[in-house]
Amino acid sequence: MAEVYKLIHPVKYFNDYINRNVRPDGRKFEDQRNIKLNVNAIKSTDASAVVKCGNTTVVCGIKLELAKPKAEEPDFGFLVTNVELLPLCSSKFRPGPPSDHAQVISNIVADIFANSKSVNLKDLCIVPDKLAWVVYCDMVCLDNDGSVVDACIMTLITSLKSLTLPKVNYDVETEEISVDTSIRTPLNINGLPVATSFAVYQQSPRSIVLIDPSAYEEEMCGGTGANLIICWNNGQFCGIQKFGGSNLSNEAEKKTLIIAKERSKLVEKVIETCLKNEIK
Amino acid sequence: MGVEDENNFKLRPMKCELNYLSKSDGSAILAQGETVVLVSVNGPLDIKSNSQSIEKATLEVLFCGKGGKPSVADRFKENVIKQTCETAILGCLYPRTGISLTIQELEDYGGLLTCTVNCACLALLNSGMAMRHMVAAISCAVNEVGNLVLEPSYEQVQSSRALLHFVFESREKNLVTGFTEGSFSEDTYEEALARCRLASELVFDFYRDIVRKYSNVI
Amino acid sequence: MKISIGDVALPGDYCEEICEVAEKSKVIIGPGLRKEADRVYITKPGVLKKRSPCTYWVDSYQKRYVPSRGENIIGVVVQKAGDIFRVDVGGSITAALSYLSFEGATKKNRPEVQVGDVVYAKMLVASKDMEPELVCVDSHGKKGRLGVLTDGFVFKCSLNLIRKILNPSCPLLESLKNEWPFEVAAGMNGRIWIKANSMRETIAVGNAILGAEYLNDEEIKTMCNNIAAILAGHVS
Repeated sequence: MAEVYKLIHPVKYFNDYINRNVRPDGRKFEDQRNIKLNVNAIKSTDASAVVKCGNTTVVCGIKLELAKPKAEEPDFGFLVTNVELLPLCSSKFRPGPPSDHAQVISNIVADIFANSKSVNLKDLCIVPDKLAWVVYCDMVCLDNDGSVVDACIMTLITSLKSLTLPKVNYDVETEEISVDTSIRTPLNINGLPVATSFAVYQQSPRSIVLIDPSAYEEEMCGGTGANLIICWNNGQFCGIQKFGGSNLSNEAEKKTLIIAKERSKLVEKVIETCLKNEIK
Repeated sequence: MGVEDENNFKLRPMKCELNYLSKSDGSAILAQGETVVLVSVNGPLDIKSNSQSIEKATLEVLFCGKGGKPSVADRFKENVIKQTCETAILGCLYPRTGISLTIQELEDYGGLLTCTVNCACLALLNSGMAMRHMVAAISCAVNEVGNLVLEPSYEQVQSSRALLHFVFESREKNLVTGFTEGSFSEDTYEEALARCRLASELVFDFYRDIVRKYSNVI
Repeated sequence: MKISIGDVALPGDYCEEICEVAEKSKVIIGPGLRKEADRVYITKPGVLKKRSPCTYWVDSYQKRYVPSRGENIIGVVVQKAGDIFRVDVGGSITAALSYLSFEGATKKNRPEVQVGDVVYAKMLVASKDMEPELVCVDSHGKKGRLGVLTDGFVFKCSLNLIRKILNPSCPLLESLKNEWPFEVAAGMNGRIWIKANSMRETIAVGNAILGAEYLNDEEIKTMCNNIAAILAGHVS
């Protein structure tokens, strides 16, 4: 019965939940979904992580390569991030070249990560103007149930934290490269960026902020993806993006900042615990 | 037209021409400082049945960069503008139709996206599309010493630590869209938001001046 | 922002005067206004106008036509589909015109309408969720001025120019009609049909109408006199 009701009166169905201060999946407005994190899930990569936030599942695999740095930035390495939203993860995506939405998500993740400055690209350089690391970070969404950016940033940073770079000897004279995989140094990561998604739902006169929205909630709030993404790293914001959805008042906006900060502490704890267990 | 305020912050001089293109339903060319953007609006018009929505008009945004080659960054800009305009347009009045917004970048000397959003709003005003509210975009840079610079120039953008862009609506001056580059503290964010909110008033006044100019003869 | 009658109106502004009047009597809110909760908001840029006793609307600039009920329009027949003609009116989709909605038309006696013909018709049904429907007769079955327009010349202009020239206080047609004979039909969808005795005169009428777009009443009169003088050969 409820399914039929949802189809016939989609807005009223959602409003009925909101009026009772509960979300369709039973959470309170300020409840987030459980996070499950697993490091080194894929053995063929140099580093990897899988994260599950509720149903949203994102895998990140990191592959290392060696390359010559760009002439204009001789002492910088490369870090390439890419997010794939395949037809596998949601019925909204069709096979073929990446959809606009996938490109936008990819861009947001890359932007947040670059703005957080958590990896110094100079650390990836081995010999200036000759040799540098290229870190390919590929994130694949297996199940898209909202807040994909949060999950992407989480797997990305966890994978990078578990990444170790093998020692490379470069002979300047002969230009010979030898890689010693037995000696590995971890990559230096500065801080721990955590992204938190929100969906803003207008139920006049009040606007309701839903934390960690599911795909259904994102859709009801009238956006392609989450409406508001706040990223917190090292006591600073490194990205506050709001697109569409309802307009945000000053008070609501202050509340989201506080929630984002609290959540980032929690996520940090999850990531650190997970990495600690892995080392044991 | 230069816009000034008692609080002594200036927006870059804004110059605008409406109805710049004769064949599109609405168009505007806007120069903010040295950044120039041309926007054309067409619609509501007939579109393919698989992209029609029975509830509201489908908005299509096409961003053409100066270089001509489409890139992932352009998709991001299109997304920002699309989502912003979707909240502004009363799409529910035009169900099963399409509205197309074409943006041509002409000159980019910083603040391209804010100029584009303002220009898109002017083009929509010109087209006579029913809108919930207007939008005004303001950018703000945090310079090396941590001071805020509203509507930064090209050089100020290059040397800044962080850039914050905000889009406000005209009813309650609530935040419609926001995006940031670089990292910054919470206090900086709050202050930038408050100052940009004040400055957005100047942009709305600018819109009003433009409409006033032609309103007595139509 | 709060505005009152006669002010420049922009989307997102609201008018309290309308609500105050609405408490006492019924009001009609026209194009460019929208009631949301307990306020009346402006949706189009222009000037807020009022006609006594209580009709309100916003005069705005617009080029694209959105069908609305009861308006006379000029359309071009683009297709014959069984019982109906499809007419391009400049809106998002074509409008339907039944062959029975012409004066004296019956199942046996079909009206002579070809694809490409220009028709002057009235919007009978125009809702955002339905295909617009046209008629070429009034409720008494008489055609009046409606029907197929033969010969002549059609051109497009903005919607507010049509409203401007049709306004009884506009001196344009008033000044032109005394100079030389011509026929004109103005469609609310931004199309004007004119027919005069010669090409020269037709173009003169067309230019006079298009030229009036951004002029005030005094300037329109001067322009009409100039055009008449040129046409009469007094000025080369």
